[in-house]
Amino acid sequence: MKKRHIFLALLLSLSLNFSWAQTPKGSVLIKNGTVLTVTNGTYENTDVLIQDGIIKKIGQNLSAPSGVTTIDATGKYVMPGIIDAHSHVALDVVNEATSPIVAEVRMKDVVNPFEIGIYRALAGGVTISHAMHGSANVVGGQNATLKHRWGMDDPADIIMQEAPRTIKFALGENPTRVHGRGNGQQPRSRMGVEAILRNGFNEALQYKKAWEDYNQAKSQKGSTAVAPVYNERLQTLADILDGKIIIHCHSYRADEIYMLINVARDFGIKKLVFQHTNEGFKVAPEIAEYTMGASVFADWWAYKFEVYYSTAFNAAILQKNGAITSINSDSAELIRHLYHEAAKTQRYGGMTDDEALAMITINPAKQLGIEDKVGSLEEGKQGDVVIFEGHPLSSYAIPQMTFVDGIKYFDIQEDADDQRQRISPTEAVEPILLSEENHRCMQDTEHLFETASALFQMNH
Amino acid sequence: MRKTLWKASLFGLFMMGLFSGTTVQAQSDPTGKKSITNTYAITNATVHSSPGTEGRKASILIKNGVILGVGDNLSIPAEAKVIAGDSLHIYAGFIDAASRAGITKPEDPERPSDFVYSNPPDEIAGITPWRSAVDQFDIESSQVSDLRKAGFTMAHVLPDGGMIPGKGALIVLGDKESTNILKTNTALAANLNGARGMYPGTTVGVMAKFRDVYQNTKLTKERMALFASNNGVTRPEINPTYTAMSEVVDRAIPVFFEVENDLEVRRALSLQKELGFQLVLFGLEEYETVIDVLKGSGVGVLLKLEIPDDKAIKNQKEDVSDAVKAQYQRVKEAYDKTIAQAGKLAAAGVPFAFSTIGAKPNDAMKALQAMIESGLTEKDALAALTTNAATIIGASRIAGTVENGKLANLVLSTGPIFDSESQIKHVIVDGKVFDYEIKAKKKNGNGENASVEVAGNWEYKSETPAGSSGGTITIQKNGNGYEGTITYDDPAGSGKATSSLSDIAISGSTLSFVFEVNAGGMSISVDVSGDVSGNTMDGSMNISQFGSFPISATRNPN
Repeated sequence: MKKRHIFLALLLSLSLNFSWAQTPKGSVLIKNGTVLTVTNGTYENTDVLIQDGIIKKIGQNLSAPSGVTTIDATGKYVMPGIIDAHSHVALDVVNEATSPIVAEVRMKDVVNPFEIGIYRALAGGVTISHAMHGSANVVGGQNATLKHRWGMDDPADIIMQEAPRTIKFALGENPTRVHGRGNGQQPRSRMGVEAILRNGFNEALQYKKAWEDYNQAKSQKGSTAVAPVYNERLQTLADILDGKIIIHCHSYRADEIYMLINVARDFGIKKLVFQHTNEGFKVAPEIAEYTMGASVFADWWAYKFEVYYSTAFNAAILQKNGAITSINSDSAELIRHLYHEAAKTQRYGGMTDDEALAMITINPAKQLGIEDKVGSLEEGKQGDVVIFEGHPLSSYAIPQMTFVDGIKYFDIQEDADDQRQRISPTEAVEPILLSEENHRCMQDTEHLFETASALFQMNH
Repeated sequence: MRKTLWKASLFGLFMMGLFSGTTVQAQSDPTGKKSITNTYAITNATVHSSPGTEGRKASILIKNGVILGVGDNLSIPAEAKVIAGDSLHIYAGFIDAASRAGITKPEDPERPSDFVYSNPPDEIAGITPWRSAVDQFDIESSQVSDLRKAGFTMAHVLPDGGMIPGKGALIVLGDKESTNILKTNTALAANLNGARGMYPGTTVGVMAKFRDVYQNTKLTKERMALFASNNGVTRPEINPTYTAMSEVVDRAIPVFFEVENDLEVRRALSLQKELGFQLVLFGLEEYETVIDVLKGSGVGVLLKLEIPDDKAIKNQKEDVSDAVKAQYQRVKEAYDKTIAQAGKLAAAGVPFAFSTIGAKPNDAMKALQAMIESGLTEKDALAALTTNAATIIGASRIAGTVENGKLANLVLSTGPIFDSESQIKHVIVDGKVFDYEIKAKKKNGNGENASVEVAGNWEYKSETPAGSSGGTITIQKNGNGYEGTITYDDPAGSGKATSSLSDIAISGSTLSFVFEVNAGGMSISVDVSGDVSGNTMDGSMNISQFGSFPISATRNPN
């Protein structure tokens, strides 16, 4: 009997291995580049050896094991793959906008590995993006962290399965516009947003307790305990309270940022990252002390009322106050040159090269909970690497090759005119909808305000 | 409408029971519509009894809707009506394994005054597992006759609605006096479409809601079991959704999930893996990358019986830059690949069948011929139409092959069925014979064998379920061919809209053309074909996915 169990367990583990198909892992030796490790300084004329998807060795005069391709990077710069902590690329749906809390929806359900935006991001050196739910709800859906393995058919193969769970929150004008002004329901104001959050977490506590009580009662002999209603929405909120999920919260104003910090402190939530955070500079010490930092735009504001009080020094001020700070795109266009966006923190705030590069590598990695695996060039980390012609923080920088797990997915020498994976058999020219291709924080919410749509064309 | 039919047939049954034995013999048939006999013999036809077997000469005897014999030495009873089958090829009647022919979507219930879009009642949110396709089905719909005309004798009809529209039913496409029902409660229909302006509004919301409904159905069942066998237990909350979903959770009936492409296939499969229900996928159009996944999953697969529109390829121009040429080439490749998928799926060993949902039955044979040209074997094509479909819907015992004891569902064609010259002459459903006119083959283009002149201004009228409408058709000669326009009631509002005609062709006295109507951003193609005699034309207008409707026109004297 026991043997049979072991056998079954073995079978089960085998089938699990099969169902989580191995994603491709490659080996490559990049020779004689200027290696920007980001975390351990910069090395001239140095080699990076990646074997089976992992950075094996960084040093001089390394030789390629047999069968491993060597790439000459003389005169070029080698840096860790860029990480975008806020993107909507490769998602078929962005907003399930129909309820103030939709914690139960999973962006992993709607990942689209064929979207050309992935390739374009690779062409800008971006190897990982945080594919987020939109900002129409106070509590949005659970996000997916993607590795840009261009060419995979199975969405599961571009999802970074080892990344921790994250979830989208949103404060301010977007959720109040969709629900309050658009549909006459809570939240209509910032106070309503806070009430939604506090009520939601309190309900989650009750839900968790109801199940704990039920499970305990059920274990008693002869129990007639009745199971509570299943509710993945509340379960997900309970998981946040248990520290299993990192919150990434769309926010602009200092007062609402501070509000969420207080809510988080009241409920014992420590895993919290602010997104956009345009007024973060006003509450930088608080962000530094109580959260996992802020992911901001380099210089982008004034697209709606709550984003007028902004400064290009935001990232530098946050960073100098000790907040983990990253620069993100929230855009299929900006994602192609995040290195320029990072460089702006040198012009506005005097960041060093390493500090500026950290904002698009190790810092977003920390905010996504994957800093032990990616985000810098260190032995033992995953082989996500970009080779640049010109220093990546220079205006003249051009990405040459982009590797994910040691596999080359972009090479400027092999860049064809038409890199699409999917071609419609019925359209001579496929329509390109600029508004959808670009910023999509509010995508899929249009139907909620048909009457007032002309008034609300803002998207971030 | 549907309900009254039901009642009428039940009433009829009741009356028959009352008078049976005494008056049946003496009953006359004042309508004159009752068939003289229920016994038929098709003699000396080429019978293709199952996919892959050679056609062989044989006769078939049918009585009261059942095949009584297939062979050479049948003794034909005196009451049998004989159909000389000498030049005919006979196949088992086709089966549409997921159909919405004859189905009318019920009207949305009115929203209550305290409606909350974030938590709408199930019925308004499109979660109606208790509904039955039987209540939405009308055998007299033109979609049903179109489907039958294309050789289909049996359909697994699914209700129309939101993310969980309800339960399917297996019906024969038979006589309008019968309910035609073989089995109700066959499967649960589901899809990934969100409700408009309420939760769940998108695919992510639908998937979350499906999990929620499924898990709470499970818990409700547990609570009910506990309540049934114990005292002192709180009464479980029973609602129509969980009650109707119960069979799905018990794996007593499968979920028929509508999916269009590989990503949707994977989404439905991920729900199935997570929750454990039985699954049949239908409506597949783009699935090349998941052929292995489909094979490994073992779920039922129903392809949409349609090939893509080739307009984008036909409209490709000659004098273009190399870059545009390269782009054209990719569209052409995509088109060819799409058509070749069915052959690859069959070669991989996936026993798929077809669904006509969203497809035009009139173009079914054209689609099949294109798939066959691109690698699908005729054997696999026929299996998809007959035996595979029967297996997937659980009807192998009664349908799918031409055999003794099976339902008398047959297709009688003038030649081998997939031959482009062949035409369907009779379709036998449930023992009832439907006859079709054999036409001289149409030739496209400039009307070499045209016997009528079609140029002029025509006033036309057509009857659709939306009421009668009309407009002007203008046709002029242009070189060797014709060009023209048509006006019609603007679907976007008041007044008339105009479209240009394409594919204007005359064959014998038959005029045919196609035009496109833009309705709410969606382009709908309308095929018109009619017989011209002097200054009048009578024919039918086929609107993609909606069925065909009569049209008549008269020419204005110049």
